[in-house]
Amino acid sequence: MSPILEIRGLSKQFGGVTALVGVDLAITEGEILGVVGPNGSGKTTLFNVVTGVHKPSAGGVSFRGRDITGLAPHAISRAGIGYTFQQAMAFAGLSVLENVQIAGEHVRAGANANTPWPRPQALLDFVGLTTLAGEKAGVLPFGSLRLLGLALALATQPALLLLDEPAAGLNDRETTALVGLVRQLPGHGITVCVIDHDMKLMQMLCRRLAVLDFGSKIADGPTEVVLADPKVLEVYLGGDL
Amino acid sequence: MNNGAEPQGRHSTNSAVPALRSLLPVLVVLTLIALVPLLSPSNRFLSLAISAGINVIALYGLSVLFGQTGILSMGHAALVGVGAYTAAILARDFGIGFWLALPAAALTSAVFAMIVGIPSLRVGGHHFVIMTFAFGQLLAIVLTNGGDYTGAATGLDIVGPVTLFGADMGDLTRYYLMVVAFVAIAAVASWAIINSPYGRTLRAIRENEKLAASLGINVGGHKIGAFVVSGIFAGISGVLLANFLGHISPTQFASFPSIYLALMVMIGGARLIAGPLAGGILVAFLPEVLNLDPVQSRIVYGVCLIAVILLLPEGLIAGIVAAVRKVFVAKPNERQELEHSAVSKASEARR
Repeated sequence: MSPILEIRGLSKQFGGVTALVGVDLAITEGEILGVVGPNGSGKTTLFNVVTGVHKPSAGGVSFRGRDITGLAPHAISRAGIGYTFQQAMAFAGLSVLENVQIAGEHVRAGANANTPWPRPQALLDFVGLTTLAGEKAGVLPFGSLRLLGLALALATQPALLLLDEPAAGLNDRETTALVGLVRQLPGHGITVCVIDHDMKLMQMLCRRLAVLDFGSKIADGPTEVVLADPKVLEVYLGGDL
Repeated sequence: MNNGAEPQGRHSTNSAVPALRSLLPVLVVLTLIALVPLLSPSNRFLSLAISAGINVIALYGLSVLFGQTGILSMGHAALVGVGAYTAAILARDFGIGFWLALPAAALTSAVFAMIVGIPSLRVGGHHFVIMTFAFGQLLAIVLTNGGDYTGAATGLDIVGPVTLFGADMGDLTRYYLMVVAFVAIAAVASWAIINSPYGRTLRAIRENEKLAASLGINVGGHKIGAFVVSGIFAGISGVLLANFLGHISPTQFASFPSIYLALMVMIGGARLIAGPLAGGILVAFLPEVLNLDPVQSRIVYGVCLIAVILLLPEGLIAGIVAAVRKVFVAKPNERQELEHSAVSKASEARR
């Protein structure tokens, strides 16, 4: 199957610091791909370059065959790539329902018209926030705020969803609930790429892993193969693997 | 964030009625203000009120920019000046009168806002404040050195009567009534923007730019757009000012007047529809009521500004509304909110 997102030779330097070195990565339509690596390995830089926050020093990104390198964050979103942030966030002064309404107002028809949540209410049902619809987002407990963040990204009707540490700060029960939701997404035509260093979460979610270390990709393949790779074990030695 | 005092934010989704509730008091007050000439006020009062009203029109534009989008212009008087000079030059060179000057000046001020906004708003908030301030200074310099075309330091006279349906509006009371009508239009326009999906988009940008961009909102573009909208209000305010004073000069549109405009919108409260009206009237009449000379009044303004920023960050009107609610209204809502926050705190503590 052709890749939905193709990253070719992506490099990023901040002054003298090299954050990414010639990373090649293809995300296949319909999969849940995990990008792992220890802190400082370049995961978040990769996320920021793909979502348009940073421009790459070299290399490019194409989405469904279209070159999207260097597009602004809002243009990336409109092209059909949804994304959530490491820090859970929502518009604190607006109600949960209004948050989701706003999120759906700026989509371009056709990004992914097949998502089964045509209405904000349906989306709130999906993530389980219906009872909190009238509450200000600012008073939500942290776990609910994470779910709202997911709902906001889904409201943009993405074909590809990038999740940057989606379970950070969640307890085990909340993490399990989130995993249950994310697993359903490919069935709704949404390809998922999760960026995290939490191997337990990745093993639950992903059949395929790509591993970054010092800005380079050192492994890419089926989860069990990657986890048995001596290079990966070395990177995570003493870690939480 | 004290959004309890921001009804338009809370109700903007479906129901126009609660949103209308925020506009109604403003229209009632404006109606009362329009009846003031029946009390045969002094010319001094009318002049002061006209100046205040002209400022309030610009303030309603500033409230869209600052109150909704969260960006502050420190050179807003310069955009008023662009409108005023546009009116004066069009009248002098082409004999174009008041009513045609209005759309022309609105357009010119909007274009200037775009020229200033495009380079500065793409970068970030602090740059914008500095850029608008520099623009204000620059405009004053350009006007001062513009030779005969801008009248240099002396400025320009604007002649030609303002007429409405054949009636001469040059009379102080008539001009007063016309300005009140313009204020009402500005208030309604600002209210309509705030309560539209566009206004909600601007508030989303104010609350979280990064998140807004991730949802497909063109943050830079909308900020420039909001500045352009505020420029339209400023341009119209400038035409009214030029025709009221009959003479304009560069210093009227330099940094001090700009700071006053920012001050007025902060004192009144930028997010509430009553805020610009209250701020404009208060700042215009406070020195008069307290019988202060210009130096004293500057000191009082400074103290007021610090007090408002520290004590009433949402502005005076929001502060009064909150205080009245606290004292008079039984508050089942608030109690619920308190309970809720207690619950969420408890759930956080569990974690």
